[in-house]
Amino acid sequence: MDWQNVVTLVQKELHDARRNRWFWLYTVVFTALAFAMAWMGLAGVGMYSVAGFGRTAATLVNLVLLIVPLMGLTLGAMSLAGERERSTLLYLLAQPVTPLEVLLGKFLGLMLALVGALAVGFGLSGLVVAWRGGTAQLGGYLGLMVLAWGLAAASLALGVLVSAVARRASTAVGVALFLWLLLVFLGDLGVMGTAIVLRLRASQLLLLALLNPLQVFKVAAILAVRGSLEVLGPAGLYAVRTYGSQLMPLLVVLLAAWTAVPLGLAYLSAHRRGLT
Amino acid sequence: MRALRRILHITIGLLVLVLGVWWALAGSRSANAQEQVLVVSPEGPYRSLEVALAEAAPGSTVEVRGGTYPGPVVLDKPVRLVGVGWPVIDGGGKGTVVEIRSPDVRVSGFVIRNSGDSLDEENSGIAVKAPNAVVEDNRLEGTLFGIYLRKAHNTVVRRNVIQSKVLDLPRRGDAIRIWYSNDVVLEENVVRQGRDVVLWYSERLQVRRNVVTGGRYGLHFMYCDDSVIEENQLVNNSVGAFLMYSRRLHLRRNFIAYNRGPSGFGVGLKDMDDALLEENLVVDNRVGIFVDNSPREIDSYVTYQRNLLAYNDVGVQLLPSVRRNIYESNSFVENGEQVHVAGGGRLQENVWRGNFWSDYAGYDADGDGVGDEPYRSQRLFEDLTGRYPLLQFYRYSPVVQAIEFAAKAVPVVRPEPKLEDLEPRMSPYVPASVPAPVSTPDWRAGAGMALLALLGAALVGRGPHLLERSRRHLVSTHVGAGGERAEGAVPVGGQEQNIRGAFQGERVRDMEPLIRVDHLVKRFGPFVAVRDVSFDVAAGEAVALWGANGAGKTTILRCLLGLYPFEGHIWVGGYHARWQGREVRRLMGFVPQELAFYDDLSAEETLAFYARLKHTSPDSVARWAERLGLEELAGKAVRELSGGMKQRLALAVALLGDPPILLLDEPTANLDVRSRREFFDLLLELKAAGKTVLFSSHRFDEVAHVADRVLVLESGVLVADGSPAELAVQLDGHLVVRLAVEATQVDEAVRLLRQAGLEADRNGKDVRVCVDPQRKVEPIRVLLGAGVPVRDFDVEPDRSG
Repeated sequence: MDWQNVVTLVQKELHDARRNRWFWLYTVVFTALAFAMAWMGLAGVGMYSVAGFGRTAATLVNLVLLIVPLMGLTLGAMSLAGERERSTLLYLLAQPVTPLEVLLGKFLGLMLALVGALAVGFGLSGLVVAWRGGTAQLGGYLGLMVLAWGLAAASLALGVLVSAVARRASTAVGVALFLWLLLVFLGDLGVMGTAIVLRLRASQLLLLALLNPLQVFKVAAILAVRGSLEVLGPAGLYAVRTYGSQLMPLLVVLLAAWTAVPLGLAYLSAHRRGLT
Repeated sequence: MRALRRILHITIGLLVLVLGVWWALAGSRSANAQEQVLVVSPEGPYRSLEVALAEAAPGSTVEVRGGTYPGPVVLDKPVRLVGVGWPVIDGGGKGTVVEIRSPDVRVSGFVIRNSGDSLDEENSGIAVKAPNAVVEDNRLEGTLFGIYLRKAHNTVVRRNVIQSKVLDLPRRGDAIRIWYSNDVVLEENVVRQGRDVVLWYSERLQVRRNVVTGGRYGLHFMYCDDSVIEENQLVNNSVGAFLMYSRRLHLRRNFIAYNRGPSGFGVGLKDMDDALLEENLVVDNRVGIFVDNSPREIDSYVTYQRNLLAYNDVGVQLLPSVRRNIYESNSFVENGEQVHVAGGGRLQENVWRGNFWSDYAGYDADGDGVGDEPYRSQRLFEDLTGRYPLLQFYRYSPVVQAIEFAAKAVPVVRPEPKLEDLEPRMSPYVPASVPAPVSTPDWRAGAGMALLALLGAALVGRGPHLLERSRRHLVSTHVGAGGERAEGAVPVGGQEQNIRGAFQGERVRDMEPLIRVDHLVKRFGPFVAVRDVSFDVAAGEAVALWGANGAGKTTILRCLLGLYPFEGHIWVGGYHARWQGREVRRLMGFVPQELAFYDDLSAEETLAFYARLKHTSPDSVARWAERLGLEELAGKAVRELSGGMKQRLALAVALLGDPPILLLDEPTANLDVRSRREFFDLLLELKAAGKTVLFSSHRFDEVAHVADRVLVLESGVLVADGSPAELAVQLDGHLVVRLAVEATQVDEAVRLLRQAGLEADRNGKDVRVCVDPQRKVEPIRVLLGAGVPVRDFDVEPDRSG
């Protein structure tokens, strides 16, 4: 592994992200919505002289679940496939770099861009939180941001995997959008239906739900902000009672696995079939 | 008669005397009691609190001025124990610190600390076991139970600050426990980190303006009729106030917030009759108000008026059996679920009237402040979680919005409304004078957040520059480590080759062969693009891969670069292309057929980018700069460059780091005749300078001009390997001339050429003419003579025969 090359490719990716209108669109939309939600969630401070930080955090969790996977998956999917279609990927790989360096450079570059974008969104909405005096739970809020980075990494890794396997950019983006739909809506609907029909136990529902990295993020985020999972009903209580203080490390490991495994598969695909 | 009168006088006199003596004695005793103040301090007169208390007469005052005194202190007569300057009574970690056994005792102004930690013995800071006590203005620190009242009717507990022992919650004692004690006043106390504040079996309690935080139950009532709980702050406990088995309890103007532990109720009601909850602020609890079997009796009610329930996960949670609850003029603001029926179902016999609902979507056309349509709570997900509590796991997930959207779009799946408010308020009612803490801006946190946003923006905006330092550091580390590059030579032809030599022209020449392709096979699925191809290229040779489109030229070049997995072996400079791709690519500069640069970079930036990947600088092509016209390219965006300029830029990139081998894939495919000639002149110069050149082409003129050897490919098979001259003989001397004319004149050109006796055909937009080598100019002459302008032409061997 030549880290000089990785850094060079990360620089290039950051440079490209700045010129990517999708990236800007996502960043602006996320920032605007996060800001607006913080503003509205804490508007009660003026009106009712109380702060609803918990509610703000909950809506932020919802927003992150909706937008961050979309950012990660589509940007990841466009990364290699787009370059492949423009033939710049072939030219790049004809230089003394390895596919692993290219994969890592792309991933880390986009990841840094996403980290920056999310930091802007969380920073600005956090500014509203601080202004409204809702900073008692600042630790939870920052934890939520770090977990959002984790979710961005997992969805980006999935996007990069799609990009490494798909031959065409349009296919890659299509698959990424389907994955987004699957992870955000269809998968959860499926598990909910299964839970109703098969009368699942809390442990079974938890197991099925945590196959979805978005739910892993959600559970970790609620745990970070609320300190308990009572709000998630029997399955949340089961998780806390079964895993106790190990729950948060377990969730973080799961999220990390959702990043490492797709990247590993992308590398395997690159190694066996070539990236071009 | 006189005697009788005398007796009467004597009796009256005696009575007056007795009364006078009694009066005098009583007066002096009371004067003594008022005046007796025993002062205890480290300087005396009393140094021991125990001695002073023993000597104190009932009703006297023991004033303690500073100092620390050991516990336990037992007060078994009606005295006033007054601390001045925060004297300390220290229990030394054993038993109860202060115990009041007599009625009419007052304890104030002390720091009372370090009780024992036995839950069985109920070790306390202050235990009151007699009525009419006053316990006020004390600070209790590190006590198991704080203030414990048992059968202490009419006691006042006021302005004490209680901080319990630092223990796990189940091992803590109650911060305040009131047990079988009627008419107690509990006010303005501050309780931190206790277990519970417990009020059981006690009637007519007044609990006001206390602050309870960080405990389990902020207030826990059982069997306490006719009590008033007002203006308290119950914050950050597991449960704010749990009210059980009591009648006529009045809960008003309390601030009940952030209670989110296990259970996590702001207010819980169980078996409560005729309770009145009004003007409370119930904020950001897991469940704002939880109602179980309240009211219990058939003729009683529970009334909720003008409360604000905001930002709770669930505003009000009721068991389905709950009846006779009256909700009037409350405000339900942004609760995750405004009203939840545990177990699902529709609420009955409860009254919902004139409440504000933040999710009310109706309107108020007549402007009377009341919505013209009823508020109906009928969300599908809420209905589902009511019936299947397991599904609560999906709270906060976007799938919930999807389900609600579906329920709105498809009325058939919409559940029955669980409640209806026929007169919903259009604006919330905000209770005034509730002692809620004021939110003030946290400027330091704000500055931190602003910094976070700025850092994020800097990462996106200036990230490449920020990373430059780390890249430079890596470069310097790399150089510092001795510039070691790839090691690990691989045997070629039985000889060990050292790659470091391959970077130096002289050594490369020594390598025989520099490139060896051995039984190369490349398949794309079932399609075999290259079949068992073997050849060698010696250092300094110029070798052409020649063949029609699809013959396998490009595939072989990409295998050489290690871009494709393949079968067989390819060795370049001692390295295997499949397993040591980086080292192989370091030996080769590559010019692709399709020049794919990053359009948003300038030519200079492009050179700099690839130079970095090759760990060299753009200056490494200085000796070729003029020949490549790099000055002309400088500053131009790649997208503005012509085909010829891009080709030169590609060659410049290929030459970065001075690799010994140049690999070119159809390098002139997109060039006009003049550019093509210039490019091949440049290639010849590079060859003369010692470069090994391997290029693919389907144009025989190029091959003949540059190559020392030609490898002829057909359908992935190597069919010939020889010099260009040998190839020309094999090709029987016929040439094909391709002529580019205006599209409208193609048919006319074909006709004219045929008239002139030439074998001419239309080939797409061009004209294809098959001629002897001696007559190759004739087609152009014919067309020009007939006034048909020729835009371009191309000559190649005729391989059709």
